[in-house]
Amino acid sequence: MSDTLLLILVGIFLPLFPMSMVFNAVIDKTSNTLLRSVIFVAWPLCGVALISNITVTQPIWLLPLVLLTSTLYAVRILTLRDVTQWTGFLATSLWALLWLAVIQETSIEMLYGYALSMSLPLMLLVTLSAGLEQRFGAAYTDLYGGLARTIPRFSGVLVVVIVAAVATPIFPSFFILFDIVVETISTEPAISAVLLLNWILWSWASARLIQGLIVGRASQVKILDMGMLTVGLYTFVLLGLAAGGLYMAGEIL
Amino acid sequence: MERLIITVAVLPLISALFIQLFAGQFGRSIVKVSVAVTTFGFLLSIFTLALALMGDAPAALSLAGDKGIILFDPLGTLLAAIIMGISLIVHLYSVRYMAEEAAYGQFFVLLDLMTAALLFMVVAGDLITLVISWYLVGVLLYFLLGQDTRSQTAYRFAFWTLITYRIGDLPLILAAALLFNAYDTWSLTTIFAEISANPYAHEVLGLPLTEVVAALIGLAAFARSAQFLLHTWLPYTMDGPTPVSALMHAGIVNAGGFLINRFAPVFIHSGDVLNVIFVVGLITAVFGSLLMLTQNDIKKALGYSTMGQMGFMIMECGIGAFSLAIYHMFAHGVFKGTMFLSAGGVINDARHNDGVPKDELYTFAVEKQPNQARQPWLLMAGITLIVPLVILVLAHLLIAEDYFQKQGAVVLLFFGWVTGAQLIFATYRMRSQNIWRLVGLSVLSLVVVVLGYVFISHAFDLFLYPDEAFRAQLYAAASFDLLRFDVLVVVTTLIIVFGWLMTYYSDQNGVRRTQTSRKMWLNFYALISREFYVSDIYTRLSRSILAISGRLNVWLRWL
Repeated sequence: MSDTLLLILVGIFLPLFPMSMVFNAVIDKTSNTLLRSVIFVAWPLCGVALISNITVTQPIWLLPLVLLTSTLYAVRILTLRDVTQWTGFLATSLWALLWLAVIQETSIEMLYGYALSMSLPLMLLVTLSAGLEQRFGAAYTDLYGGLARTIPRFSGVLVVVIVAAVATPIFPSFFILFDIVVETISTEPAISAVLLLNWILWSWASARLIQGLIVGRASQVKILDMGMLTVGLYTFVLLGLAAGGLYMAGEIL
Repeated sequence: MERLIITVAVLPLISALFIQLFAGQFGRSIVKVSVAVTTFGFLLSIFTLALALMGDAPAALSLAGDKGIILFDPLGTLLAAIIMGISLIVHLYSVRYMAEEAAYGQFFVLLDLMTAALLFMVVAGDLITLVISWYLVGVLLYFLLGQDTRSQTAYRFAFWTLITYRIGDLPLILAAALLFNAYDTWSLTTIFAEISANPYAHEVLGLPLTEVVAALIGLAAFARSAQFLLHTWLPYTMDGPTPVSALMHAGIVNAGGFLINRFAPVFIHSGDVLNVIFVVGLITAVFGSLLMLTQNDIKKALGYSTMGQMGFMIMECGIGAFSLAIYHMFAHGVFKGTMFLSAGGVINDARHNDGVPKDELYTFAVEKQPNQARQPWLLMAGITLIVPLVILVLAHLLIAEDYFQKQGAVVLLFFGWVTGAQLIFATYRMRSQNIWRLVGLSVLSLVVVVLGYVFISHAFDLFLYPDEAFRAQLYAAASFDLLRFDVLVVVTTLIIVFGWLMTYYSDQNGVRRTQTSRKMWLNFYALISREFYVSDIYTRLSRSILAISGRLNVWLRWL
């Protein structure tokens, strides 16, 4: 396989615009929740696996394209209402930044760790999106609202997962982005600036998502809330992620 | 000692976890655990503060090398005690105030987490812990302000807070990254020691690192402490629960002053950054006070009052009076917390007594009393201008004879003088039956306040920055060019004196406005009533970004 072809292939799995469209098309066409969840975890891992085979010097356009892709999708999620699509676009915006770690010559093992820890909260969000579709027929913001009153346990988990997905301390993505800032601030301050700008856009988008889902009056119709066992399961994964984040802070910072 | 301080910080975390896990079994009474733990934490924090006051040397406890360091130092112990004190009051108040809330237990979980985040922030001895806790304060405040999940308005303005805080997080992250790159450690103590040893060893983009870092820290502080242009969130976040407003106005908003104090060793070598901080604080104080006076919504007026106070606090840092900013933070916190928490009582009282002030027309028309004769305006103006100045100068001379050599002290005196004059002027306008008694009481209260302020701030100075040379360096770093400073002081004094005289004169003789001045006045009033259009501009800007986002999504569909 030629290096150019390989680079394009990696650009699909560690999404770079316009190759990023492939991932979002796949997510859009996949209706099975389990398969969607697997795709969310496996997709960037495939990209990392492929990247170790690239021998060619990174082209000059790579860095601007990485920043453009991340920013483009960070801007786009601001007005998205479909939760699954929102998750896919956030994934695109986040995973594109893994290229920065590649450019900084981060080890492959660490890259796997980065990819996995960025993807796990997104995978949880996809499963929660499926939960909303199951209960309301659609996972859309500003459609029903009031989840905090209607299904308080579900909305509690949803909020923490969204917070984890947008690189909030003490979850791993926060430390990964912090590390990228530390690595680039002195040599390429523009990269840090774009990254931090995108960070704000994710926070903005997450607040809009939370507001569009959990805020409002309780539904008049009785909706089944999340079971205690499921809450425990999500809590376990989130605690694991938080512990992983702290461990990662010790390792990379 | 450092183990004690970490216990204080960890206690609210344990409480939050306990409530979250066992709320189902114990029901609403579980919040008593939170109150008990906070009470214990408060007592412990007072004990650690007492140890620090008795002279225990600063110490640090490291949990993981140069990360996760907890400091036992005067600044951390003092602020930990203040935070625990305010948190305890808010806890006690919330037990009944929030009793009818659906998410009663969750509120206490968030309150405990917020207390823990604030405590970790003030005792952080490394940049990682500081950045994490700084960031989490913003996130937790968002959810505390959005406690009423039925209210879209509450969330809308909670979002304003979140986004401003996020904007303020970024400079701190950048400063942390720059410091780590330069000194290869996250430990604040080590970084400050290296900066003291060789302040200009590193450069960023051709500028000394210390100046860049100080500017970034200043920016982070501006966002957190609602400085002008980053202030819009503060007056609008009144839809949150009253205890949260109290906590926010009494504690969280003060974080900017804390951050500047924490980085004091950097600010000593920060070039003109402190001067810029002074100007920003001054503008905020003036605009905040101006907007406060023109609000017809009392809650927004309180918000702008806090903004003005934050301006004063940041301004104090800008003149090198770092410890005074901490005292101001404490005094304002107690004052504003009391105002918010007594709001319910005031509303209750108002139901029984409307409290409408009896103005001239009322006393003349309803009570059939003649107007009080006024004292000569020139005499009263003279008293207004001279008495506060004499009190302030004498009080400061008691502390140190060389006090007036410091520019910062002169600026503070200046503001003390204006405030004192305002107090006496307000007394004059009251038209009391016995004006001299009222003026006497005002002057007496001014003496008490000034003496208290001077002595307590001096005590704060000695406690927080015991090294006299360091204190002198802080004042020196904040100094202006002497000639420019003197000219500025003289011109401003003349303007203020002229303003006071005019105020007295027009109050006595009535105001006559020309057509032009009336038009100018109306334009000015329109500008103020729209709050200088700052929030309108931000709203327009955010709508434009959302429009771009929507347009991109239409063009690119779901890809």
